[in-house]
Amino acid sequence: MLKPFPSIFRQITEAAKGLGLEENMASSSSSGLTFKLHPLVIVNISDHYTRIKSQSLPPPSTPHAASASNGATSDSSSPPPQPPPRVFGCVIGVQRGRTVEIFNSFELLYDPSTHSLDRAFLEKKQELYKKVFPNFYILGWYSTGSDAQESDMQIHRDLMDINESPLYVLLNPSINPAQKDLPVTIYESELHVIDGIPQLIFVQSSYTIETVEAERISIDHVAHLKPSDGGSAATQLAAHLTGIHSAIKMLNSRIRVLHHYLLAMQKGDIPCENSLLREVSSLLRRLPAIESEKFQDDFLMEYNDTLLISYLAMFTNCSSTMNELVDKFNTAYDRHSRRGGRSAFI
Amino acid sequence: MDTEQKQAEYIDYFVMKASNFNGSALADVVAEATSHPSLFAFSEILSVPNVLELEGTSNAILLDLLRMFAHGTWSEYKCIASRLPPLVPDQILKLKKLTVLTLAETNKVLPYDALMKELDISNVRELEDFLINDCMCLGIVRGKLDQLQRCFEVHFAAGRDLRPGQLGSMIQTLANWLSISDNLLISIREKLKWADTMSEVDRKHRKDVEERVEDVKKTLSHKLRTVSRPTCSTEGTKRSFLNTVE
Repeated sequence: MLKPFPSIFRQITEAAKGLGLEENMASSSSSGLTFKLHPLVIVNISDHYTRIKSQSLPPPSTPHAASASNGATSDSSSPPPQPPPRVFGCVIGVQRGRTVEIFNSFELLYDPSTHSLDRAFLEKKQELYKKVFPNFYILGWYSTGSDAQESDMQIHRDLMDINESPLYVLLNPSINPAQKDLPVTIYESELHVIDGIPQLIFVQSSYTIETVEAERISIDHVAHLKPSDGGSAATQLAAHLTGIHSAIKMLNSRIRVLHHYLLAMQKGDIPCENSLLREVSSLLRRLPAIESEKFQDDFLMEYNDTLLISYLAMFTNCSSTMNELVDKFNTAYDRHSRRGGRSAFI
Repeated sequence: MDTEQKQAEYIDYFVMKASNFNGSALADVVAEATSHPSLFAFSEILSVPNVLELEGTSNAILLDLLRMFAHGTWSEYKCIASRLPPLVPDQILKLKKLTVLTLAETNKVLPYDALMKELDISNVRELEDFLINDCMCLGIVRGKLDQLQRCFEVHFAAGRDLRPGQLGSMIQTLANWLSISDNLLISIREKLKWADTMSEVDRKHRKDVEERVEDVKKTLSHKLRTVSRPTCSTEGTKRSFLNTVE
């Protein structure tokens, strides 16, 4: 409902950035390609990484641990905290003109001895995917980690014979609560002359997230999966409330930015920008968001219904417990089926 | 927002024109600006120094006209129509549209009667045509027309130029909004804590009950072993003991 918000916020943050408050970006790519990343790829990579990581964590006595992880396998005698295993895979998609759209990805095995990806498997997978998605080409590869490394260039070069300019999608699996953007970076390779020697180096490119409605719904569903045992009512309530809490917190921080901006404008620190003021006034006019009488009626009715149902459920629970108690009491202190004058318990 | 972006180039154009002309030549500029179909923002033009110079001179009515278009409504115009230059139909239409925007500022549901009174439109059909063609198609207003209840629900209305005092009230509204959402966050956190503590209490209670059941069972098994009884009631004992254990 608050659709005007994002654009105002963006404008203000851009206005506030002005004096080089932006983060330092690595040299950005100059190839002029626009990248569109689908969220399915991100979920795939993160799922792959999580699976491998959880499979390599259990005590090294289990035989599965060693076979499933890539690269850093643990020794059977020592369970030290490992550097998280890196996972590798391929990304596929479509390139139309200057727009590169990454739709899907699949996993690959990395052979640490030859520092290359399993080529035969890649080609087999490529064939299979071609049958289902004839338009998709191999656009590049992905891996996890915090930064692009030197050894990655080797893999990159190997892929150059499939695609003359492959992409390298890097996911940073470390969770940083202060970070606001997605920990995904897309690198391209460019030939730069360093110290007189032309070398291939990775340069970062910007990307946008693009999705279709079906994908958005399914990814949203996957992202909101609760723990499988359902948990008690408390954990479900907690999960739901936490979601609402974070959403409201984000809204709160943006309103605060607007508030500061207007205060500064009033004090005169910032020149008045009329179009922004007009937009803010139109935004504020939409409050209160819902306040018709009909809403109150419906809301109260639904609230009462929920309370009534939980009351009924509680009632049923109590009466069944009471019933059980009475049965037990009767069987325990049953005076008709025993012989003799005294009860079974002294 | 789209309205703002659409207007941006017109605003720049008129500001440039206004700064080039002076005095009564501005009359043309003002007339053009006020009848332009897509321009709804006049505060930039009002802040051009050449325009401000008109204050107090014989052409001050131009300035008043601009101000009327920036902040005023159709009924205000009718009150002081004698002092201002006559308006061409384009300008009248625009002023009426701006009136709708102002009305949308205060209420979200605008009854047809009030609208008809403010805009001097006599029948519902004309009013609806005006709203649909001239306001909603332009995108300055978005909402639903409810003919049964004879009202117009406004979902979104573009902003008009700010009156000088409005900035303060906007800041106040934002501050209220902030405090409400802060309170909401706090109450959500409390609810979370409450849910956690209640589940803790529940678990402890369950554990206590089970411990007591265990104790009772142990005492019972003690007692049974120390009791020697004739067969019939031993059977009864066994049966009832089994029942309670189950």
